[in-house]
Amino acid sequence: MKLDQMRRYAATDMVDAVVIGTGAGGAPLLARLAQAGLKVVALEAGPNREPGDHTPDETAAGELYWMDERLSDGAMPQAFGGNNSGTGVGGSTLHWGAFCPRPDARDLRLRSLTGEGVDWPIRHDELIAYIEEVERFIGVSGPADYPWDTARRYPLPPVARNASADAMAAGCAALGIVTTDAPAAVVSRDWQQEGGDLRQACVNCGTCHQGCRNAAKTSMDTTYLPLAVAHGAEIRPGCMATGIERDARGRVTAVVYVRDGIEHRQRCGAVFLCGGGVETPRLLLHLGLANSSGQVGRNFMAHVATQVWGRFDAEMRCNRGYPSSLISEDMLRAEGAGFIGGYLMQSLGVLPMTLATTMARGGRRWGRGLTALMDDYLHLAGIGINGECLPHDDNCLTLANETDAFGLPKARVTFGYNANERAIDAHATDTMIAIWRAAGAHDIMVLPRAAHTIGTCRMGESGDAAVVDPWGRSFDIDNLWICDNSIFPSSLAANPALTIMALSLRTADRFLKGQ
Amino acid sequence: MVGGMKDAPVIVLLHALGASARSFDAVVDRLAGYACIAIDLPGFGNAVGDTDFTVEEMADHVAAIIRARIDGPWVIVGHSMGGKIATILAARSEHGALPGLAGVVLIAASPPSPEPIDDDRRAMMIGWAAKGPLTEDEATNFVSENIAAPLPDAVMAAAVVDVRRSDSAAWLAWLERGSREDWSGRIGVLHLPALIVAGSADGDLGEANQRRLNAPHYANADVAVIDGAAHLMPLEQPAAVADLIRQHVAIAVATRPTIPPHFARLIASDRVSARTRAILIDRARPDAVDYVPHVLSSGQLATLRALMARVIPQEEGAIDLAARIDARLHAGEGDGWRFADLPADADAYRAGLDTLDRAAGAGGFAGLDDERRDALLMRIEDGDCLVVTDATLSPAQMALWFEDVRADGVRIWLAHPATMARIGYDGIASGGDGWRKQGFAKTRADDPERWEPRATKERLR
Repeated sequence: MKLDQMRRYAATDMVDAVVIGTGAGGAPLLARLAQAGLKVVALEAGPNREPGDHTPDETAAGELYWMDERLSDGAMPQAFGGNNSGTGVGGSTLHWGAFCPRPDARDLRLRSLTGEGVDWPIRHDELIAYIEEVERFIGVSGPADYPWDTARRYPLPPVARNASADAMAAGCAALGIVTTDAPAAVVSRDWQQEGGDLRQACVNCGTCHQGCRNAAKTSMDTTYLPLAVAHGAEIRPGCMATGIERDARGRVTAVVYVRDGIEHRQRCGAVFLCGGGVETPRLLLHLGLANSSGQVGRNFMAHVATQVWGRFDAEMRCNRGYPSSLISEDMLRAEGAGFIGGYLMQSLGVLPMTLATTMARGGRRWGRGLTALMDDYLHLAGIGINGECLPHDDNCLTLANETDAFGLPKARVTFGYNANERAIDAHATDTMIAIWRAAGAHDIMVLPRAAHTIGTCRMGESGDAAVVDPWGRSFDIDNLWICDNSIFPSSLAANPALTIMALSLRTADRFLKGQ
Repeated sequence: MVGGMKDAPVIVLLHALGASARSFDAVVDRLAGYACIAIDLPGFGNAVGDTDFTVEEMADHVAAIIRARIDGPWVIVGHSMGGKIATILAARSEHGALPGLAGVVLIAASPPSPEPIDDDRRAMMIGWAAKGPLTEDEATNFVSENIAAPLPDAVMAAAVVDVRRSDSAAWLAWLERGSREDWSGRIGVLHLPALIVAGSADGDLGEANQRRLNAPHYANADVAVIDGAAHLMPLEQPAAVADLIRQHVAIAVATRPTIPPHFARLIASDRVSARTRAILIDRARPDAVDYVPHVLSSGQLATLRALMARVIPQEEGAIDLAARIDARLHAGEGDGWRFADLPADADAYRAGLDTLDRAAGAGGFAGLDDERRDALLMRIEDGDCLVVTDATLSPAQMALWFEDVRADGVRIWLAHPATMARIGYDGIASGGDGWRKQGFAKTRADDPERWEPRATKERLR
């Protein structure tokens, strides 16, 4: 994005806030604070790019992923890098899928409704008001009538369905499962971005995960960040936050960061940690901050994200078109299911290398079984889920004995399914196999996987059991705030980014109230 | 063009100053089975009257013929002046403008940098042409000065006729300008397999200057010397020249996973961004036949090649997945995470390969037949690889490492444009560098766009 004309602050300037991370958590609040006239600086570990710089080449597009090594442990070691954490101005929104269902009201009250999981300390209608604001700002495309929420309206008509979506619609229809066009943070018409440039209508190129080259897909560098810069925010790419300085009372006074191997510090009145479910707790654990609850790093969650693939007689070319253009919320609460919460289903278009990696890892394919499968790539199509993951004490992030290039300890993430995730996985697998059979797929395969990095700095009502309060403010340090997926008390079935953006605006409003 | 074997590269031949396409007649006769196109450069042979004499124009002239007549892989052979043109075309091909080039043969070739010609000799040759076409004596002198032993009468006579019928303006253009132009910075280092041929009795373009001036531009070059030959090797020793070309074509074919012409044209098209095109072309560079591993020992590399042959079986034109994994480990390119139970990637590979060899018994993994290799891998996959006393990875670790191996292998295989062509994946062509990206107008099943290629398997149906 264009940064050459932006306002710049000196390290000696006392800015109102430093925001660490420019993804879905950092960008909206950066814009909100700048619009309110505050002096704000965002630190981004990765580089700045233009949309046209992106490439559909899957290997090269790995540059959008956070590639500093994390250690994966537990019964279901999580693959990081691809799909779940990003780097560069815009953070993970550079490569996110832009599939943006809203969080379901029941998912925020799991404990009250079922006696298991945890409740969110936020009212659903309050969250939805912020979500609607985000949807109007970024331009979400969706169906005219949303079957599970008849009052809902989207600013733009849906993007085109692709072959996977058509197959899923047919399979679901045969089984009596309701589907509709997926809500997508992709503009289906040319969209003049408030505070930014023209974002061109989606051209169905199918490479959302490799970076959108015409800004049709919402990423922070084409939406909230230009708005922030237009209102005087400074964004510093290539800056890795490594420390936080505090005064005698324990309040934050400056953020320490490394740029081109040289350590700098920026004086500030407050800090917002928005580095995501791995980097935020890693930094806090390393610095020994904001952890009187002992909850930093606890309750790591990853959505149950099982996929079912099959071969069709027709040529599907599932790389074409918006990848997840169909949704079903019918299984958010499945009748008679023996689990808490539920799952969303979506159609899948996946590029060959990403698909083959899942086939080779979770699908345990190799040899002719793998090459013959990929020779049929044009005939493959899939469906997948995003399923509730309950917080568990044994799923956690800790610091490893190894250090990275900055001398910070690497994160070690231990993750495995517990009974509820296993039950969701089993139910969803059966459902998806039935849908794919009904859709006419052959050689159906199940690819176990989990996705997203959630939890690790949970929010709550009490400083004994949570890291931050219901607005993202640390219980221990009153000018340290967190806004990213780390503060989620439970995973929700909905993909996290839309909720993170909404929380970001809400946190900003709360901060501004206190100014 | 002489008809050739199906799928064999077409051999394009570019002649020397004062010569013509027919200077390769005796060489082409000995390349039976290959389609050959010997080209008259502007101002020479039957192209007298064509006035595109500059080096760049000569390259354009050849490129136009290649585009019009070749629809598959090709190899270029350049003799002397033609050698400079060949290298320029090789650079264009590596940069994506002229797809399909599989290899380069340079014969006593003029280098991309200014050609080392003795000043007096250059002055004499310029003097000959300054007054018009060369005389019989001057032409005979020119040919005789460039051979080590007398040519058969008919060959000599034809060579003299070619010199005399050359356009003196073309002759001067080369001596006064073309041979002096410095293209070396623009050419850089090319990765196509190249064979650089020198005559043992040649002068300024002999072995020493070939190694000094041409070889540095080719990362994968062999140098061959033909004994008893001077500068006009295609005339002097056509059998030796043909044998070297034939051998080099075989190497070029063997080391290059073939990108079929339809896919090469797609990569060159405006549906692909310049950045993506450069990435794909870089990745399509042939693997070095004698790749020296950086992270693995040569024994471990051999074991990894045997392992990759089972994990990602390839037919002809194999990509050296093992070498590419070693190069990736060397570059320290991780994927953002690793199993907590495994050591760092490079250590895991070394230990995993050693353990695999020990588990395979006396002859190592490469010593097993395919069936036994697969049986062992299935046990490893199940975490039940036989415990060997001096193994460095446990059975549980071997299962995790084998998962990494599968993922690494299939990713590198699919990253190659030849594999994309094979499976029919064209997502790399979803938008070029225009203000508006092309994307896909059609997204439904069984509804390809007109430009979309099909998978190799479908094409064979």
